[in-house]
Order: sequence, then structure tokens, then C-alpha cells
Amino acid sequence: MECVPPCSDRPGFGEETPGVPLSSGPPTPLRAQTFSSFSPSKSYSRQSSSSDTELSLTPKTGMGSGGSAGKEAGPLKVFLRQQTQSALEQREYPFFTLTAFPPGFLLHVGGVVSARSVKLLDRIHNPALGNNTRSYKLLDWNSFTADEPETRDAWWEEIRQEIKSHAKALGCHAVVGYSESTSICEEVCILSASGTAAILSSRFMQDGPLDVEHRFEEVVSPGCGFCHIPYDELNIPFPAQLTYCYCCRRYKVPDVLFTTIDLPTEANVTGKGCLIQARLCRTKKKAQGEGNATAISNLLPFLEYELHTQLMNKLKLRGMNALFGLRIQISVGETMLLGLASATGVYLTALPSPGGIQITGKTPSDITYEQHISNMQKKINDTITKNKELYEINPPEVVEEIIGSPIPEPRQRSRLFRSHSESSDEVSELDLSHGKKDAFVLEIDDTDAVEDIHALLTDFSIPAGFYSCNTEIMPGIQNWTSAIQMFTSVRVFRLNTNLTNQGLNKIFSDLCENLLKSLYFKLRSMVPCCLCHLNFTVAIPEDELIQVAVTAVAMSFDKEQTLENGKQSGEKTLIKAITDEQLQFSLELNAETSSPNPLSSPKGLSDVGSHPSARASSVDYSSFADRCSSWIEQLKLKAHTIRRGSVKTTSSMEKASPLPEGRSRSLRSNRSYSGSSVAVVKMTPLSFIPGAKIIKYLGIINMFFIRETTSLREEGGVSGFLHTFIAEVFAMVRAHVAALGGNAVVSYSMKECVFMENPNKNQAQCLINVSGDAVIFVRESELELTSVQPQSATTQTSNGGEGT
Amino acid sequence: MSVELDVFVGNTTIMDKEVYQLWLNGYTVNDAVKFRIEGGVMEECEASAEVLLSDTMDQYRTFQMCERLLHHPAKLANQLLFQIPPDRQAMLIERYYAFDDSFVREVLGKKLSKGTKKDLDDVSLKTGITLKSCRRQFDNFKRVFKVVEELKGPLVENIRQHFLLPDQLAGDYAAIVFFANNRFETGKKKLLYLTFQDFAFCAGQLINNWTVGAVDNMMEDMDVDLDKEFLQDLKDLKILITDKDLLDQHKSLVCTALRGKTNVFNEMEANFKNLSRGLVNIAAKLINAKDVRDFFIDIVEKFIEPCRSDKWTSIDVNLYLTHYTNSVHILDTFKYHAVWTRYMGVIKSCILRMYHD
Repeated sequence: MECVPPCSDRPGFGEETPGVPLSSGPPTPLRAQTFSSFSPSKSYSRQSSSSDTELSLTPKTGMGSGGSAGKEAGPLKVFLRQQTQSALEQREYPFFTLTAFPPGFLLHVGGVVSARSVKLLDRIHNPALGNNTRSYKLLDWNSFTADEPETRDAWWEEIRQEIKSHAKALGCHAVVGYSESTSICEEVCILSASGTAAILSSRFMQDGPLDVEHRFEEVVSPGCGFCHIPYDELNIPFPAQLTYCYCCRRYKVPDVLFTTIDLPTEANVTGKGCLIQARLCRTKKKAQGEGNATAISNLLPFLEYELHTQLMNKLKLRGMNALFGLRIQISVGETMLLGLASATGVYLTALPSPGGIQITGKTPSDITYEQHISNMQKKINDTITKNKELYEINPPEVVEEIIGSPIPEPRQRSRLFRSHSESSDEVSELDLSHGKKDAFVLEIDDTDAVEDIHALLTDFSIPAGFYSCNTEIMPGIQNWTSAIQMFTSVRVFRLNTNLTNQGLNKIFSDLCENLLKSLYFKLRSMVPCCLCHLNFTVAIPEDELIQVAVTAVAMSFDKEQTLENGKQSGEKTLIKAITDEQLQFSLELNAETSSPNPLSSPKGLSDVGSHPSARASSVDYSSFADRCSSWIEQLKLKAHTIRRGSVKTTSSMEKASPLPEGRSRSLRSNRSYSGSSVAVVKMTPLSFIPGAKIIKYLGIINMFFIRETTSLREEGGVSGFLHTFIAEVFAMVRAHVAALGGNAVVSYSMKECVFMENPNKNQAQCLINVSGDAVIFVRESELELTSVQPQSATTQTSNGGEGT
Repeated sequence: MSVELDVFVGNTTIMDKEVYQLWLNGYTVNDAVKFRIEGGVMEECEASAEVLLSDTMDQYRTFQMCERLLHHPAKLANQLLFQIPPDRQAMLIERYYAFDDSFVREVLGKKLSKGTKKDLDDVSLKTGITLKSCRRQFDNFKRVFKVVEELKGPLVENIRQHFLLPDQLAGDYAAIVFFANNRFETGKKKLLYLTFQDFAFCAGQLINNWTVGAVDNMMEDMDVDLDKEFLQDLKDLKILITDKDLLDQHKSLVCTALRGKTNVFNEMEANFKNLSRGLVNIAAKLINAKDVRDFFIDIVEKFIEPCRSDKWTSIDVNLYLTHYTNSVHILDTFKYHAVWTRYMGVIKSCILRMYHD
């Protein structure tokens, strides 16, 4: 859980290095829906192994949120808090990189916490490589001397401490959806970390045997609990307008909520969500070393502030009040800084309806100016109305009436619900909300602001039938069809020199917008569909170049049932306790029965994905004895295969059961063209496959590829080169998964895509790092069909049915 | 300021049928974008010209990458680079191997050589098909020809299996290969009225009846060459015109059968000897490769044109040929019934197909 990667473990390839190190602990194939992996003991041991920066400062103080302890009512609550707290504080950093949790796990969410730091890499700089900054980037792991990892650890430690203290300031004891990233240009490095401050349920923090079912059942959390403020409202660390929760009316909620996590499954959401992006480009003087670092440091706060303002404006423009999956990337180049914030906006029913946006001019001098402003105001109001319609945001009006008198009747109800609450509900009776319809005032004082508002309004509207989000799933859409299309798109834009900030902004914004437009156009045949997990990565590969890479999945859904199916199916998909059979490493008890099957016949297995009906026939190929002997062979080889990949497995397979292999080959070599011998492998950046059940996790896929060409023109230029390369990367991932016996990759991500070119020399290089989890899935419809017979039989046969 | 690089790669390769067709037709990216804009795809999906250009470039690139696989369609199903659903694969192959009738008429029966390929710009000018598309079609013909030339077994089946083409298209390619191999003359002015489908039909008849494969599947020889033995035997039919008695007997039999059944009986009776000589002479000469090439011209000159000038209808032609063929079997001195049946069966259906009212 504590992602404290020793820096030396990662080659410093550049921007956006992922937070989870490869070397720490066994690869966990489980993400959002896998709670059994959530064992505290496991994470505890991992902490000690992954971080060598022992901190003696671990605060032992009872409760955070300053002097609010006195206001905490009820000893039980304090006790519970402390218990959770202590469980968490045993950890050096109570950080979770997970973004989805079981219902009831998140008690309160405070908001986004983030920290950045600009560092100079000059001390690590190896003079031998100093002249060539590019090769320096790629090779800097060569230039390490003994003490450098410690230096970097210290850097990250500072940042993590800062995050921790931010969380504390928000009255939270943990950080969820935590991630770290870097952006390097020459010798300047920006280290960034962000997460969501939260208070977690103590139930999940207890040690001891995991009784998964039991723990989940106890907590029936209301859909608004996590929205209630964790901090003390009289000591709010920042100005905020609090109101009583629109769902339960007992607790205070903020007017807006930003988080880095996925939307909790239990959350009450009105309407649908949408992708919201803030884009910013700021020019910077070329400078060296310390001066450069200072210049960047000075720019950063403004950059972040403006990104935040943009996000806020766009959120309000869509009539929404919360952001999930917020990810802010800052990229540094020699002459500019790029900021891209992506998040999924939603309307949380528990939060107040956002006020409109009101524009005021600073210099109300001439009439035309006033006219202009009122025109814009009208446009904005129209857009808000239109968006509310588009995203089906029509919160119940009744609620708003009650808000005026927050104290009465709901109090009584609160007692009944009280049993598990542990939030600071003893808030003072003071209602600080300054009226419900406070408009967000935008002051136009310079050309910048005018530009900004124009940009705000010129965001194109999403084509009919499309939805988009950067989270796992889209609130309000559950009934996915099985049609999914994962894709990667990369664009590099060459800028002119001497651009103003506005010009740059416009270009960068257009670049992102056009990319999105292209995606919608490309995927128009899948409508109605939702682009999920839209993951933008920006980089400045060279001066005057901006690179944007997007990986996402388009998923179709049935329009009709959208409303009926509602929550249930969504929960069904997400909340599934994991069974032993699904795990990559099966438990010893059933190792003999279940483990050999997925490996017993690579060919047969790949058939599971493409045409499961062929399963039976592939069994017929070999006699039972053949299969048994091959199973034994594979049992012995199992450990090897997992580490060494599939090559060895396949070769041993041929030896072990020559008959089926030989026959299938002869079949193939003849004229079986019509029946493709290539297994279909699905890929998705999500943790699940709609309409399917993952029956086995086969392990992590993490692959680095480097490709170079010295005949760029002949290969169709840079686009041709990269197109082929990405297609080949996909193909290699698919082949790898198929060789492991899988038929899908989940949680796929392209972590690096470093592209360099030298057209004059007719050369280009590219490095790509991708990762994901290889799995075997079975369509739910097929599962229902086949499950009838094997249920009564032994485990062996039921597993055998799946495997061969 | 420009987009330096712009790629989109899907796990399942996305291919737009419309763009594929534009690519196959040999249009440049810019022309294709124009076509698409005219086609109204922009209004349909709220796209801009920019988006369309990006998409078209991307698709073109994908197609170019796929092209080498399409040269060996069997590889398309077994390659790993592109994940393409089977129905999509079939569509890609079928369209790639589809050809324009106007183009194929230009090269039908010509040697599929470099020389012919050099003349393709003329063909392109004449037909209005882009040179790029002409080259693709020509290369397809040549590729199919090269592969099946040396293969044993039924021609259509070979093509269908090696190029995964649908039956109709495989048949068409068989015709093209057959014509190219035997170098049938199809470009003469007199033959211009015939469509490719007319020729394809005739080729089918010839392949099914006059090749070695037609009589004996186990033979080493292939479908692309005519049965030499049969051609040799055809010489024996000459007796029908050289033996005066036989000719007269034949004529009277046919005329008796036809009398009162057609409006052009007089013309038939008057022309009988000419027509019969024409048909039997074609048969007798087929042993010479050069005369094989002129097969279709001969049929038109010796039979179809005289009939047409006498205003026979197709029904008349059918009636005449039926009786003409059958009457021979009643002639007691005639011994080559098998050869006659094999010959006339094809001739009759070819003439009927080629006889446009």
C-alpha cells in the first residue's frame, strides 16, 4: 500500500513514473474489486520492505484536526477513531494507491491533497554524459553512485510528509488514491504527489483472519456518508461553504468535492458524469541550473491555481459539484510548463447544487464592454441549462426548500441511523452557508481572463450518444454490452517559436479537444458508448514539441435498460469477493486440482476466449493419460513458467503431449485458413470486463520495448513508425497473454511512451512501457450455461472444464 | 505549427468500409477527405475537416500496413499484428480482390507480364480508374495466376482456398487466369459488346468441360489447360462437313425438326451449311494454339454475326442449336458421339450467352 519505491529501482525514463514499484512484494493482480488482498498484515510487511527511510516522527498524538478533539462527542466515537488511527499510524505513510474500495470503507473524504517539489539533478549528473541530455535521460541509472538513492528517498520523504500533514489538516488520517510522478527536463525535476485525504473505517483495519463476507455485510453505508466533512467546521483550513447534506440532512457537506479516487459504488449521483479537463501552458525563460529551478518553482503555484480555477469553472458550467479521478500532470520543458488536469465531474446528490457563474467587469466604463459582458453571461447561462439537460442533472427540488431551515425534523431521524456513524456530527448549530445560490464570480480584469472565458465556452460539446470519463465506470451507466475497444492514440504537435501564453494555451487546448473529437469520430460506430478511463499523458519531448498520449476503452451499452438496471448490476460487477481459483498463486490445498489446468494446453486455453464451444473437441485430442502426464510435467514447471514466461512451457508441452500438438499443427499447416488459429485477446484499462467473470489471474504483464529506425521515411514517417510500433506492442502483449493461457488483459496501461526523432538523419527512437494483468475470463452467459453440471461434481472436474 | 505525428491504434483494428473503398479506388488522402465531406459524414457525426483528415490518414496507414497481408489472405487470419474480427477479414479480402469490369475487359486474355503492366496508364486513362487501382487489380490477377498456375486440382477451388474468396469472385478469377493462360483474344472490336461476365461464363463452361480436370480429377494436369486429347479428337468431327451425304442428311434432319417452329426457318435452312461448316471448322482448328486464341472471334464471326444479320432471336438460336446437336446422333455413319456432345454442349451454352438480342 505504501508506495515508497526506492528510486534506484526505476530507471529514470522521464515523466510520470508510476508509483507502484515492480520490485516490492508479489504482483497483486487485484485492483478495485479485490478486497481480500486488503489484508493489513500484508501491507504492513510490505511497508518495512519497501521503504528504508525509517521515520521516528510518526505522530502519536490522539486526534488530528487541531483543537477539535474537545468537540468530539461520545467516547465510543473517539475510541473508534483512535483505533482506526492507530492501525493506520503504525504505518509510516497511511497512503493507499487504490482508487476503489468496498462500500463503507471510506467514512469521510476530505478532498485532494497534493505536494510538489522542484529538484536539481545536477549532483547526480554524470559529467561523462553531460553533453547529451537525451542519452542522459535514458541512461541515468548508469550514473548512480552509492549515496544517490538516499538523496532521492529523502526528496520523496519530504513530499510524503507534506501530503500526510495536508491530510491531517483536513482532519483525515489516511490518503487514498495516492500517486506520485515526476517530470524531468535537463537537470530539473518536478516531483509531484497527490491523493485524497480520507477517514477510513476501522473495521477493515483490524488484524486477524479475514472474514470478508462478514465485514462487508455489517457496513450498510448510506450513499452520502463519504461526502460529510471530516474536518471541524469552525477550524476549516480553507474557506468553504458548508451546508447540511442533501441526502440525510444531518451532517455538513462542502459545496464542492475534489477527489483522486473512483466514484464510490454506494454514492448517490444525480444524472451522468463527464470528463472535465483543465489545460494550461505557460512560457518560461530558458535558464540553467538553480535559476531554472527557481523560475519553475515560481510558476508552479500560479499554474496550479489556474488549473484549479479552470476545473471549477468547467464543473459549474456543467452544473456539477464533484470531481473524481482528478489527475494533474505538470510537464516541464525548456521554455514552457504544461499543466493538464483531468477528472470526471458528477453531481453528487448529497452536495448542494452549484450556483451559476457570474461575470463582472472590473472597469465598467463603456457601454459596449458592458454589452459584451452581458452577452457572455447569457451564453454561460444557456450553456449551463443545456448541460444540465445533457447530463440529466435534475436534482429533486424539494430538498432545496428545506435547506433554509436546517435544524428541525432530520435530527430525530439521525438518531435512528446513528449506530455506525463516527463523524463529527456534533457540529454547531451555526449555519455558515451563505445562501444556497451563491454565484461563482468571475472577474474579467485583463485580456487573460477574457481568453479564459472564451476557452471555457468554446469547449465543444460531446457528440450525441457519447459519454466520457477518466474513472473506471460512468455513474448512471451499468448495462454494458460486451463490445469493448481499447485504444491508444498519440499526437505530437510542433509549435512556432515566440508564442504568447494565450497562444500557447489555445494551441494546447485545441490539441486536446481535437484529439477527443477524433476519438469520438473514430468510435462513432459503437454509439451509444462511453469512453472510460480516458487517460491523458502529456510530455514535452523536445523544445517546441508537445506530445499527448491517450489510452482508454470505449464500451457500448444498451440504452433502454440504463435506468432500470440501476445500481445492482454495477455492484455485481465491482463487488465480488475473490476466490482462490482466481488467484495467480493457488493455495497449496487445491494446487493439484486447480493449478495445472490453466497450463495444460496452451492451444486449448486460447480457445476458451475465441470459441469456447471448441473446448470439448480439444479435450478429445489427447487421451486422458496424456493429459495426466502433461499435468504432472506442468506442475513441476509451474514455478518456472510464471517467472520465465511462456517459451519454456510451450516447448515442454510439445514433449509432454506430442499427439495433440502434432495433430493441431498438421491441421494448421493444411488448409484451415478459414478458422483463425490466433486467439482473440481483449484488452482494457479497467479492472473488469463487462458481462464476463474473471476466473483466473495469471500474473502481471510488464513489458518494455525500445524500437529504433534508420529508415524513417521508408516506414511512412514518424506516424508510420509509431503506428507500427504501437500495433506491435499490442500484438506482443496479446501474444504473451495468450501464451500464458489467458484471453484478456485488464488494468492495462501505457506507462511510458518516449518518442524521439531526427528526421534529418532519417531516424527515430521510441520507448514504450506497458503493463496489465493477464486473466482468463468467461462470459457470464456461458458461465450460467456450464455451471449447472459441474456444480455437483468435484472441484477437479469443474476446474478441468474451465482449463482444457 | 503543425501536427507532427498523429496515430490511433485500437486493440481491435478499426477499419471504415467507406474509407477502405476510397483507398482501394486509389484516391489520395485529400481526395478521399473531399469525397467523405461530400458524403455527409461530417454532419452525421459533428466532425470537422481536420478530424476527417486525421482519421483518413490513419486509416490509409492501417490499410497500407495490412496490404502485404492481403497479398496472402491466408496470412491475415494467422497474423498477430492486427486483431481483426473474421467477418471484417473476409470483407477486407473480398474488397481487395474485387475488380472493375471495365478494367478487366481491358486486360482479359492478355499476358500478365511487365509489358502489359506498363500499358496500364493507358488503361487508366481509358477507363477513368486511377492508375493505383489499376495496378492493384493487375497485381491481384498476376498474383492469383502465379499461385494457381502450378497447382493441381480444380481451379476455382484452388483460388477459393488460397485467397479465401467467395465463390462468385473465385469463379471470376478462375476465368481471368484461364483467359490469361490460353491468351484468348477479347479485345477485338467485334468482341467489345461482350461483358466480362459473358466471358466468365464461357470460361466456366470451358473449364468444366474441356480441360483435363473436367474428365478426370486424379490427373496430374490442371484446369488451366485444355484437354489436348480432346482437341485432337475434335478433328474427327470434320467428317460432318467433308462427307457430303452426312451433311445433307444432317441438314434435312434439322430442317424437318425445325419446320413450322420458327419465323426464320428459311434463313436457317439457307444458312445451314455455312453455319455447320463454321462450327465444325472451329472444332477442327482448336488443336492449334493460335486458333484457340481466336476461339471467341471465330464464334462471333462464323455463327453469331450471320444469325444476327438474319434477325434470329435467342429462342431461335437455342432451338436451332438443340436440334443441330441432337440430330447428329441419329446419323448412322457418325461414330464420334461423345466428342460431339462434349464439344457442342459448351459451344451451345457459350453461343447462347454471347448472343445478345
